[in-house]
Amino acid sequence: MPHFFFNKKVILLLVGMIFLVALISFSLRDRTNATLPEQIIKDTVGVAQSIVARPANYIAGIFNNIDSLLNTYEENKRLKARLEEFAVVQTEALQLKSDIKKFEQIEKSESLKAFNPIQATVIARNPDQWEEKIILDKGSSHGVTKNMAVMTASGLIGKITLVTPFTSEVELLYTNNPNYRVSAMVLGEKEAYGLIEGFDEERNELILKRIDSSLMVKEGEQVVSSGLGGIFPKGIPIGEITEVSTDDYGLTKMAYVKPSADFSILEYVMIAKRTSTVIDGADGNATNEDLTNSPEDSEKEEE
Amino acid sequence: MVRFLIPSVAVLLFLLEPEFAMLSPIELSGHIYYLVPRFLILYLIFISIYYSRQRAVMYGLFFGVLYDVFYIDIIGLYSVLYPLICFLAGSIVKVIHQHLVVTTSISLILVAILEFVLYQFFYLIGFTSIPLVDFLQSRLLPTMIANMLFLMILGWAFKYLINARVLQRAREVS
Repeated sequence: MPHFFFNKKVILLLVGMIFLVALISFSLRDRTNATLPEQIIKDTVGVAQSIVARPANYIAGIFNNIDSLLNTYEENKRLKARLEEFAVVQTEALQLKSDIKKFEQIEKSESLKAFNPIQATVIARNPDQWEEKIILDKGSSHGVTKNMAVMTASGLIGKITLVTPFTSEVELLYTNNPNYRVSAMVLGEKEAYGLIEGFDEERNELILKRIDSSLMVKEGEQVVSSGLGGIFPKGIPIGEITEVSTDDYGLTKMAYVKPSADFSILEYVMIAKRTSTVIDGADGNATNEDLTNSPEDSEKEEE
Repeated sequence: MVRFLIPSVAVLLFLLEPEFAMLSPIELSGHIYYLVPRFLILYLIFISIYYSRQRAVMYGLFFGVLYDVFYIDIIGLYSVLYPLICFLAGSIVKVIHQHLVVTTSISLILVAILEFVLYQFFYLIGFTSIPLVDFLQSRLLPTMIANMLFLMILGWAFKYLINARVLQRAREVS
């Protein structure tokens, strides 16, 4: 036995293994904040990364422009066909807008739809692509907080999962993380509420679960965020229903949703900062607290 | 000059990887293919083979930690795998011939092993649920093709650069 202990290399290896397992299990926990050394590394790499990202985005932009130039003729044709409908829709929209204003005055409630966009540039995408994650160049010093909605012009793409002073991490909708849910609603004849939970890897579509089985949900209907989760604004487009079925236990309906945003090349995104009261949802590790009027925030405002 | 060129190329490759990752996944006739850029580890394997195993392991550890903290958020994954791959590469090369074609294929095999170990790890902790066949078709194969193209274009340049450094060091010693 004593002979064994003289073998320094074996002991070093064992200690190393234990240390490694401890480190991995520490970092696998559902952490809400990055530790200080992590934040320092993230911010330093983030700054270097955003310098490299600028010319890279520029080059990618050129390719996109060429691509859209080639499609101009087709697109023009399609748009012309839709132009005739447009005038009718516009007058209708104006009418509805004034109606909404009147109702809001009566109700005097804050609209869940209103939000202040924070423009951000995508500086990196997780290169090994096992977890669908992108990194943005805006962080807590720009007013970004955890769980905010991230979107492009065409729709919702994900939410903020980790914030450091100058960078923030976005987990895309394409994830199988069971703690990742987005409250959504289907814009049909009658509004149906459900939760976006996970995605189907073979079909490459999102899954909308927990829809009340008494409600009719049809293919082709639009799915938008409901704003009931607490932090997301209402009405961000998510996608379109492609198939409806019942879920595993037959109690509720589920639907496959084809996302409206394009996930393949993301350059510029918007972080939606809701203007009305923000509640930290009861989801996962969230605390169900009132974030806008919390004591810490109001103290800061007084200062 | 050459002395600082070797680490700066490594830093550049580290920063370029995520930019190339934005081009992925690509969709070809209904199938989705993931291309994972592994430029940095290929470069480190070359350093390990042509320059110094110890140096390569050090670089591997440094960039592995950066990679873990910045992208993966699981500390201890790449920071172990990168040095391990460099160590393996340096050990293998002692028993075989150092021709560019041979080293290129060894690098690619090592990267394939790295991908496979990562797949097993993420499968184990439940980040992914894709079956093995899908992994081979939609991830490993396209990744290997993309990285092979990268090595075929830049492998000789790496070798040239590292050889220049080796010669310079030999001159300094003598």
